[in-house]
Amino acid sequence: MLFLWPDMLANWIGNEKKKTEGQFLIEVVGLKKVFDNKFEALKAVDFTIEKGDLVCLLGPSGCGKSTILNLIAGLLHPTGGDIRFNGSSVVKTEPKDRNIGFVFQNYALYPHMTVLENVMFPLTVGEKKIKKAEAKQIAETYMRLTNIEELSQKKPGTLSGGQQQRVAITRALVQNPEVLLLDEPLSNLDARLRLKIREEIRRLVKEVGITTIFVTHDQEEALSISDKIILMNEGVIQQNDDPQNLYLEPNNQFVAKFIGNPIINMLPVTIKEGQMMHPVFTIPLARFTDIRFKKPVPDGQYTLGIRPENVLTTTQDALFTTQIKSVELIGRERILNFDLADKHVKSIVTIEEIIEEGAEVAFDFQYKKAFIFDDKGERVY
Amino acid sequence: MFKKNYNPENQPKAWLFLLPSLVIIFLFSVYPLFRSLIMSFQKGTLINQRYAGIENYQKVLTDPVFFKALRNTALFAFTVVPIALILSLAIAWIIFEKVKHKSFFETIFFMPYVTSTIAIGIVFRYFFNGSYGIINYLLSLVGIAPVNWLDNVNMSMTTLIIFGVWTSLAFNIIILLAGMRNIDQEHYKIAKMFGANNWEIFRRITFPQLIPTFAFLLTVNIIAAFKVYTQVYALFGGQPGIAKSATTAVYYIYDKFHIAGRPGIAMAATVILFVIILLVTFVQNKILKKVGE
Amino acid sequence: MKKIVTCLSLLFLGLLAIITVFPFIYMILAGLMTYSEATSIPPTIIPASFQWENYAEVFTKAPFLRYFINTVFVSAVTTIATLITAVLAAFALTSLEFKHKGLVIALMISLLMVPYESIIFTNYNTIARMGLLNTYSALIIPFLTSIFYIYYLNGYLKSISNTFYKAAKIDGASDLAYIRRILIPMSKPALVTVGILTFISSWNSFLWPLLVTNEKKYRLLNNGLAAFTTESGSDVHLQMAAATLTVIPILIIYLIFRKEIIKGVAKDGIKG
Repeated sequence: MLFLWPDMLANWIGNEKKKTEGQFLIEVVGLKKVFDNKFEALKAVDFTIEKGDLVCLLGPSGCGKSTILNLIAGLLHPTGGDIRFNGSSVVKTEPKDRNIGFVFQNYALYPHMTVLENVMFPLTVGEKKIKKAEAKQIAETYMRLTNIEELSQKKPGTLSGGQQQRVAITRALVQNPEVLLLDEPLSNLDARLRLKIREEIRRLVKEVGITTIFVTHDQEEALSISDKIILMNEGVIQQNDDPQNLYLEPNNQFVAKFIGNPIINMLPVTIKEGQMMHPVFTIPLARFTDIRFKKPVPDGQYTLGIRPENVLTTTQDALFTTQIKSVELIGRERILNFDLADKHVKSIVTIEEIIEEGAEVAFDFQYKKAFIFDDKGERVY
Repeated sequence: MFKKNYNPENQPKAWLFLLPSLVIIFLFSVYPLFRSLIMSFQKGTLINQRYAGIENYQKVLTDPVFFKALRNTALFAFTVVPIALILSLAIAWIIFEKVKHKSFFETIFFMPYVTSTIAIGIVFRYFFNGSYGIINYLLSLVGIAPVNWLDNVNMSMTTLIIFGVWTSLAFNIIILLAGMRNIDQEHYKIAKMFGANNWEIFRRITFPQLIPTFAFLLTVNIIAAFKVYTQVYALFGGQPGIAKSATTAVYYIYDKFHIAGRPGIAMAATVILFVIILLVTFVQNKILKKVGE
Repeated sequence: MKKIVTCLSLLFLGLLAIITVFPFIYMILAGLMTYSEATSIPPTIIPASFQWENYAEVFTKAPFLRYFINTVFVSAVTTIATLITAVLAAFALTSLEFKHKGLVIALMISLLMVPYESIIFTNYNTIARMGLLNTYSALIIPFLTSIFYIYYLNGYLKSISNTFYKAAKIDGASDLAYIRRILIPMSKPALVTVGILTFISSWNSFLWPLLVTNEKKYRLLNNGLAAFTTESGSDVHLQMAAATLTVIPILIIYLIFRKEIIKGVAKDGIKG
């Protein structure tokens, strides 16, 4: 028995490894936050984040996304609930011991230090600090990774927004943390730069292999680079899913409206005796695909959600005909604007379909891609 | 990963950072406040204190010397402050509007603020000398007979007031200039486009925007004026004017505390002075609010 | 019309500027005159020859060198101590959250309104009871901190974003490392202002030293000057020399740092 102890040890190590490998990197359990002014920013939020994922906390201002980020970082104290890294609670741990990197919205680069000194700073403070020469080497390695080597002797005040951001990211990565947190990293940059840099961020974090959480209010940004999106509103998670699902299968009206540009068309309808009725059109419920109904749909008030690309022009079996109020040409698409019972509706068609303002056009809906929401905003189809 | 008891919204270690300051503040600012109050209700010397009720207050309020001191102090405050403020306003306005090298003049006018009042007081005492003082000489050049500035009981307050105005200009001018700089230049451009002349610009744009600054200066100046002591000491060589003609409230307090050895009375007088200052400031603020509307 | 107003204004300004500067200039000149020149009628403006011996006389008549050293020492210690305590306190007030924080701030604001003269006598008592009359400690201890400058630094630090502290915390810096490497370098202008203003007001202090020191060994310049003036009676030329000694060091500091000093005072005034 005694000679078997190396095997037992190896077994035990193997088991320990298995324990952590299967687990989520970050677990948020019942997280609540009420501020001093009694404002309830988070109402018992739960989610998990897997190692190596690039996750987006998305939502309008005030939805609680930054609050979550700050709680994960240890800059705020939860009113209730827990946050766990690798299975252990970190709520009482100081930020510096959580093994994280943080990129602030305004970058927070120390203005009196050069770029190199800024990046080196985390390595030269704290209990794990190292000698200046070594720190310089490590810093320069990371600076090569993020392409800011030539900025090394400059001061932050002389850099452009994009450059400052890259410095901030480098500084956040230099201690090789387990998690990278970014608070609205792109909102201070102009539109063109935003497109370019979000790609760079994704490439960088995937190359380094670091789990990343970033906060934004821009749904397009979230859709384009995230592995997972956690969409929030008023302190509650609306949907936690991968980007395509958020678009194609929204849980509720809020998600459907928030995701997608141009915004989805929402038409108030009444369902009665197997018919969906609207002042301008009537649709027999049979036209909708049976299996897509999530719940029984009793008679009552509902909202029909139909994305502009699913409002189709048609030559036969028109659901309704209407006059086009205005036409927007955006490069490869044509957006047709019209009104249905005082509600503004958009339809997207290809640029080749020549339709002018004032024309009378016949439309139909792509029923198998439509959504129906009940009077509480929950999706029933 | 080791855990501590960390809460970013409640960090008791803050008290460690505050400790050195708080100790000094409690010992030398909070404690004295209460002690003064308590002492004002006690009589006897520092070593021998007995409860005296409001006896000290009665003594002070019926003491003609106190009233003289108070009268002098009030006279000083209500003369020096307005004169100094108006002069400062004029000087600041001229520097701001009509001078290119503003910082040169700022440097000059601010000098009195950083220099010791005692030293300057001694210089002024030299200037005001009845026989060889330069002021009497300058007066004689325009045909005015020499004035006995320092040794005439009736002139003491006047001399003090002149000196008081001279020392008050510095701080006021700097603050007013800063206030003027804060006014948005756009207002002036628009006014000039409408053809407003300088006086109109001053009256309707500059002055209204300066009112908060003005109010601040008025308050600070009055409070400082009521506490006048060092200027008197310097000008009259330690004495509160010849035959105590320029005695001020603080002189009275100092005298009762250090010389007469009656700390209780001194404290009572201090409290009374403090209350008067509060009242004056309060009333003045009310008036300014009315003027602002 | 406008030209006349401008002309008159500038004349008025010039006149007042001369009135402001003249005492300083004359003080320096009179300190270099003989007794008869200083008291001549009509007054002498420029002495026939500079009487540097006046200064030698002043130094022998009263221990002005001692007064000077005392003042430099006390002012320097007070300034350094105030800077340290104020920075630490202001840091805690701006960057840290803790229970009763509002109470501490409210306490400080209300104490700011208390006139120093009303507590000065009790402080004399406290110092006397501690047996510290006529010591350097008496001159220094009550001024190891300043509520006013804590409040001033607090206001200044508030305008610097608190994100830097958060970033430093995540970077792993301890509080003292943050203060040393980030807070202090970033608030240099304010610290320079506080330092200089504290030094100047300490140098010019009068009433407190008058109360707690009367031995020549511990006297400060101002009090030494006042005593000397009373003692030297009519030696005006010597008094002017002594006054020059008291004023010149501060004037030199002022002329070098006038930008910082004026900016610092103006900023506080506007907040008020």
